[in-house]
Amino acid sequence: MSAPAKHVDVLAAADDLRRRTLAGMAQPLERLIYLASTRDYNTGLYYHHGLALRFSEEAACEALADCHREAFEELVDASLEQLVHELGAYLESTRVAPNDFIVAWKGLEPYRVAIPVGIDSLSSELVFSNLKVALAILEARLTARTKPGASRHPSPVQ
Amino acid sequence: MIGLVLYLLVGVGLLVILWVLARRERAPVEGCGRQFVEARQALRTLQLGLLPDNLIKRIFDREDFRYVMAMSPGEIGELFLQERKRISLMWLRRVRCEIRNLMQFHLNYSRLHAKLSLLTEIRLALDFTLLLLACRALRMLLYMRGPYGAGAMVGVLTAAAGRVCASSEKSLAFLNPPALESIRRDSAGDGATI
Repeated sequence: MSAPAKHVDVLAAADDLRRRTLAGMAQPLERLIYLASTRDYNTGLYYHHGLALRFSEEAACEALADCHREAFEELVDASLEQLVHELGAYLESTRVAPNDFIVAWKGLEPYRVAIPVGIDSLSSELVFSNLKVALAILEARLTARTKPGASRHPSPVQ
Repeated sequence: MIGLVLYLLVGVGLLVILWVLARRERAPVEGCGRQFVEARQALRTLQLGLLPDNLIKRIFDREDFRYVMAMSPGEIGELFLQERKRISLMWLRRVRCEIRNLMQFHLNYSRLHAKLSLLTEIRLALDFTLLLLACRALRMLLYMRGPYGAGAMVGVLTAAAGRVCASSEKSLAFLNPPALESIRRDSAGDGATI
């Protein structure tokens, strides 16, 4: 396949991915975690069965990588307030007990392995740092909510 | 006798000076290509990774600070300030490192490929000096007043860095793909010139 045709294929695959699979994920954080999960830890290549069938494995891989970078860039540009909101929405979408989620995210820092390849270390450090603070804010809200009579802070998900 | 000793000392001194001059490092011609590429990389890192407005705005954005202080001013406020200070110092370290790379390139190699006018060279030297001074001043401000007490200095630094990047861009323009294309067009059919 010629290079321009391949490029068109990647664009079409990325568009398809955005319209179908990613359409249900409003938050960049959710998309970032999902897209990172489609990447093989050993090879660094992305794989999506449906997309590979519809286009080609190569095009699907590049489209997933493009969307992954896109989601990451949105996170870099997000304010701390937006990030707290996104993290809260993501927490709710996982249906895990909030305390367990916060303990796991603070301990394991799973977001560190969810960043795309080739990202500048400063951007990734900024996102990690903001997520760390956002987690602390969510935790404080949860603690305040579970304390009897404490209703100063709103619920984790606003 | 004293005269002979003096002449011998002068002779030895001259020999030592000759030896030092002979051993002085020269810009290795075979390393120039690598230096150009490294300078180009430093420039790209500055332009795309460290100096984009949105990134600087995010790091030094007061809205985040106001939000955290309104939500949870205690321990979390401290954690936030600590984190932002760490990130801003990291940003400054990276900017300084890339600026030094560019300065080194200009000092050693720009004479080989670009005929800069004296005025341009003086302007560039002043900008580099201003930049390194601004880096030092900003570092001190960040340590003393934190990331939200150094807004003006961040502005000075990014403006000077922008000017240096623009000058370096001109010096390295021949490495851009369109320039390579024109060389390729001008060269023989087998592309032997490149």
